[in-house]
Amino acid sequence: MSRGVSIALAVAAALLALLLLLPLGGLVWRALSDGDVAAELGSGATWDALRLSVITATISLAIAVLLGTPLAWLLARSRARAARLAAALLDLPLVLPPTVAGIALLSAFGRSGYLGDTLGGIGLSLSFTTAAVVLAQLFVSAPFYVRSAYAGFSGADPRFEGVAYTLGLSRWRTFRSVTLPLVWPSLAGGAVLCWARALGELGATLLFAGSLPGKTQTMPLAILAAFESEAGIAGAVSLSVVLLGFAAVLLLALHRVTATAGAYR
Amino acid sequence: MTLRANFEAYVGDFDLAVALEADDELVVLYGRSGSGKSLTLRAIAGLLRPRSGRIEIGGRTVFDAEAGVDLPPQERRSGYVVQEPTLFPHLDLRRNVLIGLERDIDAPGRYEELLRLLSIEGLDGRRPHQLSGGQQQRAALARALVRHADVLLLDEPFSALDEALRADLRAELLRLRREMRLSIVFVTHDLREAHLLGDRIAVLDEGRVLQFGPRDEVFRRPASRLVAELTGFSNIFEGERRGDGVVVSGLPLRAALPPDTAEAEAVDVAIRAERVVLRRLDPEGSLPENCFVARVVDDLAFGNTHTLHLEPDGAGPPIAVEVASRPYEILGVASRERWVVELPADDLHVMSRAAGAGE
Repeated sequence: MSRGVSIALAVAAALLALLLLLPLGGLVWRALSDGDVAAELGSGATWDALRLSVITATISLAIAVLLGTPLAWLLARSRARAARLAAALLDLPLVLPPTVAGIALLSAFGRSGYLGDTLGGIGLSLSFTTAAVVLAQLFVSAPFYVRSAYAGFSGADPRFEGVAYTLGLSRWRTFRSVTLPLVWPSLAGGAVLCWARALGELGATLLFAGSLPGKTQTMPLAILAAFESEAGIAGAVSLSVVLLGFAAVLLLALHRVTATAGAYR
Repeated sequence: MTLRANFEAYVGDFDLAVALEADDELVVLYGRSGSGKSLTLRAIAGLLRPRSGRIEIGGRTVFDAEAGVDLPPQERRSGYVVQEPTLFPHLDLRRNVLIGLERDIDAPGRYEELLRLLSIEGLDGRRPHQLSGGQQQRAALARALVRHADVLLLDEPFSALDEALRADLRAELLRLRREMRLSIVFVTHDLREAHLLGDRIAVLDEGRVLQFGPRDEVFRRPASRLVAELTGFSNIFEGERRGDGVVVSGLPLRAALPPDTAEAEAVDVAIRAERVVLRRLDPEGSLPENCFVARVVDDLAFGNTHTLHLEPDGAGPPIAVEVASRPYEILGVASRERWVVELPADDLHVMSRAAGAGE
């Protein structure tokens, strides 16, 4: 590569990195100058929101993995036209604004939604509960996992499975000891994305689950609430920095785990 | 162990109809890519469900459309090896080979024996990316054999390897077949490989078996013009039956005739380039039977052989002749232009047109 091209590439990379890092730096600077991170860390409300965020995001991820893995496998292995269509539609929740997702969930499961009546009849009310938080997160984050898993399964040569069958391995054992290790990097990558998206979910949760402290108020909602309160941006930046630090630590840890577990090559 | 397969399968708009058998022998499925060879193996292994017919492996019916029998691949006792991918990339050689065995007490001895037979001892702990292409294929063979498979199904297993390695593995496969008395169905599109390995050869094209028979019969007596083309006949001429022979480009030739041809019927006449004889031209003498005079228009050297193209002076067809290097030098082919070309009657193969048209 010529020197000029190298420099151009480096400048482009640096520009984008700056664009991403500058606001985060601003956040930290603002929090240090007029926020009070220590006070927020000492507050029970902060921990409640953080705990709720982690628990709901983790439950969302667990459901996405449990239900999304078979879905992704079926979509990747099926030759039916319907399967290809469904695979294309998987991206739909990704392009919807989260508020639209929230409205969609309300219209289905809300008190006046078309399933809400039925659910209410058997004493189940979803909206404005912690379950609603999980549902909202699942709606917006599961496609990230399924998409990545689908790409992994599609890329894994089905002849590996064929050879395993002829060697006497049952379908389940083939999946467990042949297919799964082959697609592990895709599944792990998708899981990280899915979990991160669930952790940052705001719009759909706000509309469908509301912002009840301790019950549906996750970190993003707590930050929004702080921003709109008297504390204003000063309160919001401190909470933001807490979430930022926490997410960074967890993502780094996840990255390490998935990188070592998937390293068979 | 024996294999009998007679079935029809449809994959998309590809229509496959195959009838084959193998008894303690190596049967080569030979054809161009897309002829249905791999699909045939997949159907035998149980990875593709035929629409109709019957498949029997080692005396057991594993598929019978009418009786509703369709054993899953796990229960067919076939050893299936493909060109690529071979080994599971996340497992070492030992776990790859033994993956199909739960706790077989007999396995350790057989495992060691197979590794020794295939010259891959001591590589147990290596992952596939730490093995050479040849070692990977040997391990894949060991994996297919360790479970006492009744039939080995090999789908171009050596095609990804370089020529020297391929030659080694072919020789080893022949040795294994003798020592273990295996039934093997071997798919290839390589003519030399088909010739070297096959006891019997099935020539496939567009989902149909054009000819299935002993190797020499298929290579010497192709059933049709298409089989002759596929099996490497360089000289195939249109001719006409006359008397106890044929006429090709105005030249009468004595040849064995297929039984059902009529006088003056249009036939195809084939002779392999290496079966054509070149003689020095004697200006005084008369031409013997099945001979004509031609001149060399092209001479291609392939190392140990030369392929000459000759054009006739008078009656006779343009012809390709393959001469080994030593006779080429002794005859002094390079120094003369005009030669007597002999098409020996025993090597001329006459095919009725009807054989080519009917499938």
